[in-house]
Amino acid sequence: MMQQFAALDLHIDIKTAPIFHIGDFAVTNAMLTGTVSLLIFFAVFFYVAYKVKNGQYNRFVGLVQWAFEGMLGQINSVIPDKTIARRIMPLAMTIFFYVLISYWMSILPGLDSIKWNGDPILRSIAADMNFTFALAFISLVATQMYAIRQLGGMGNLSRYFRNPIKDPLGSFEGILELIGELSRYTALSLRLFGNCFAGEVLLLIMSVLTGYFAALALPVFMAFELFIGFIQAYVFFILTVIFTSLAISHGPHDDHSTHAKQEAA
Amino acid sequence: MLHSFVTQFAEAAHAAEAEPASGGVFGALGIDWQMLLFQVIGFVVLVLIMGKFVYPILMKAVDQRQENIEEGAKAAEEAEKKAAEAEANIEKLLKKARTEASDIVSTAKAEAGQMVEKAESSAKTRADRIVAEAQEEIAKDVLAARKALEKDTLNLVKQAAGLAVSGVADSKLDAQVIKKAVEGAKK
Repeated sequence: MMQQFAALDLHIDIKTAPIFHIGDFAVTNAMLTGTVSLLIFFAVFFYVAYKVKNGQYNRFVGLVQWAFEGMLGQINSVIPDKTIARRIMPLAMTIFFYVLISYWMSILPGLDSIKWNGDPILRSIAADMNFTFALAFISLVATQMYAIRQLGGMGNLSRYFRNPIKDPLGSFEGILELIGELSRYTALSLRLFGNCFAGEVLLLIMSVLTGYFAALALPVFMAFELFIGFIQAYVFFILTVIFTSLAISHGPHDDHSTHAKQEAA
Repeated sequence: MLHSFVTQFAEAAHAAEAEPASGGVFGALGIDWQMLLFQVIGFVVLVLIMGKFVYPILMKAVDQRQENIEEGAKAAEEAEKKAAEAEANIEKLLKKARTEASDIVSTAKAEAGQMVEKAESSAKTRADRIVAEAQEEIAKDVLAARKALEKDTLNLVKQAAGLAVSGVADSKLDAQVIKKAVEGAKK
């Protein structure tokens, strides 16, 4: 089996493969799958929105609405301020549903076996680090924007930069906060990429290892990947909401020095 | 066998590392700034489109449903409150009705007692009157009977005396005897 596995010459590449170029811009396999995911995402949501607008409900519309309402409930439970919760909702919802659909694209049969010039045509966009970094970057920028809107520019900066003479412990805490802020989003993107990429590799390896029994073994791993996809989409979604909630709630009352002063008084 | 399996991965990893040496760590990981920017812009546009055209419709439906649920809950609460009030009212009315019924029963009992008493007294009076009337009637009848008897007796005595003395006495004696007999009879 191992010899057979080695003889297959598996091509596992962290980088996405360019399929064709538009000028200098390379269109990769992940982008193609991402476009398919986008079309599915648009189809689902525009269909549901159209049906809801016309008051025509069916099981599918009910399912999507149920999921939407559930996610909205999660946002509201994490961010008590309804106005801010409503503002962050489009980003958080799009992250959840788009990541979910994109992740689930990675279990499509033929995702790695249909090739163009030796490169697989389809690859989940969640297994493209450009996408996960882009998502994390957008999440970071959105969080900072809401934090600035809530705390003001200086208020937001004071989360990271404090006077080391007046508040040495607080200034150290601020630096840690800044490092933590960057590492949180890096971890967020790497987590999604790692899980999706590993899932694709797992499915590929399992299909090789199980040989003729792949038809029996793969569905189990596919179901597992569906579950992991949901978990990863939810983790990205909820962490974005939690980071926003933490950023906007980090007012002057949370300041270490203020606490120390209050305690001293 | 295991060796070939491990070396397969090692070779692949080595090839991946060697290939993008020009792009550094980011290049090795497949991060291309142009593509990253494209993804950022693409996703932001996606969020804006969804936030403009799709989510407001879904949010409206959610709000509508929430409103309906709240209205329903409020209506249920009000209904519950009204039911409790109605129950309290019913209890109050029942209590009042029971008190009134008790009053009515006691009044009726008292009235019935009075009526019975009155009826009894009326019946007694009437019975007394009837008895008195009967006694009076009886007395009258007795008197009438007596008178009739007296008359009959007188007639009988008269006849008997007339018969007894008819052969031995004259009319004068006869008259005296009769008179005596009558007086004797009267006594």
